[in-house]
Amino acid sequence: MYASAQVRVEDTTDVLTPTTVQCFSQNEENKRSTARKGLSITVSTPETLEALAVRVATDRDRLAFKQLFAHFAPRIKSFILKQKVTDEVAEDLTQEVMVTVWQKAHLFDPKKARLSTWLFRIARNKFIDKVRRQKYIEVDVDNHMQSMEASEKTDVPVIQLQDQSRIVSALKILKPELKQVIELSFYQDMSHSQISAELGLPLGTVKSRIRIAFQKLRVELGEY
Amino acid sequence: MNQEVQTIEQAEAPGGRIADDWLIAYAAGNLSEAKSTLVATHASYHPELLNKVRDAESVAGALLGSTDKADLSDGFFDRLMESIDAQDGEAGEAIDLIKPVSAKNSNVPQPLADYLNGDLEDVKWRFMGPGMKQAKLWTGENGEKLWLLKAKGGTEIPEHGHNGSEMTLVLQGSYHVNGQKFGVGDLEIASDEIEDHRPMIDEGEDCICLVVTEAPIKLKSLMARAVQPFIGL
Repeated sequence: MYASAQVRVEDTTDVLTPTTVQCFSQNEENKRSTARKGLSITVSTPETLEALAVRVATDRDRLAFKQLFAHFAPRIKSFILKQKVTDEVAEDLTQEVMVTVWQKAHLFDPKKARLSTWLFRIARNKFIDKVRRQKYIEVDVDNHMQSMEASEKTDVPVIQLQDQSRIVSALKILKPELKQVIELSFYQDMSHSQISAELGLPLGTVKSRIRIAFQKLRVELGEY
Repeated sequence: MNQEVQTIEQAEAPGGRIADDWLIAYAAGNLSEAKSTLVATHASYHPELLNKVRDAESVAGALLGSTDKADLSDGFFDRLMESIDAQDGEAGEAIDLIKPVSAKNSNVPQPLADYLNGDLEDVKWRFMGPGMKQAKLWTGENGEKLWLLKAKGGTEIPEHGHNGSEMTLVLQGSYHVNGQKFGVGDLEIASDEIEDHRPMIDEGEDCICLVVTEAPIKLKSLMARAVQPFIGL
């Protein structure tokens, strides 16, 4: 987060002429800078992070990669640790994810997904491949030409390019029992029958809570 | 068949489309190899299901992006860059995680083409019963199986009760069961409590289905039971 905040402040400073800068009292400048950093931290800076990924892809920019690393590597490790693996396994997987980010950055398309979503897919696939030793076929979600039946009504993905902060807020306002099943699904790699056992709830209840939670998220975040 | 079972089935795949909780389980990576392959293939037929998968992955991305930071061990970044430089030297021997869309004009959706590393032309079919052929693709723990069924038009699949649930995705042709029609891209989930399940393949071209069976199917007729060990279901 520090890395991305820094990038944004630098970008802003570039636009300021020396005269403009002089117009601010030192104190005011500090306040504005803090406010900007504060904004970056709470709102998150998807454009900036995505721009860093593009720089990694096009320029093989190591500084940009280091900034992405500072932002994401500790979070990827944290996310993987939630799947109940050892610290060593989590670090190995985090390293593999970051190697993939470096090697595959050219496949990331900021028009189609948030960087965090792309990273999640890489982390998920690595986890399944290395820890569960299972084949996991990825559906090419970005290419609707793959669809062989186009006759039906097509609604649009509504969460795809939403700001992370909006998604997180939408999760926060879900009822606790709905938020819980979503978090267990994604954070802890638990199947719905495992969640049912863990919470002591019938499978049907878990399934319907997940359906309701997802529906509420899509309505909250969607325009329809 | 009691009303409750009917309700569960309808909620699992209403109108031949899998319910959202399955799409979330797929996006989260919680499904077995057989079920994830089937769900991915099914979703490929329906843009609205693909959109939901994408949305579920976006929720996961937001959770990842907003999670607390863990401490990394000392020198992590330097070791990472060493590893990257070493691998760059090996001239991109890296495994493609995000698969390129297969260039081949396949007669099956991309996920299944990826899984088969080919298409239906490449499948080695084996005799299963009168008018029926099968090709086993994968067997997991607890006897879960992923397999392909090819049945001639007009064939009646023998009456069978289930020990576990059975998921059937139509890739070609169509069939009827209990008054409901299943055509290309449709998914049927038959629960383990179902008693009378006798799909009738519609007249015409062969019907080809991708099937996940959770546990060995109990065939009911004596004749069917006699051939069960032989056909391997």
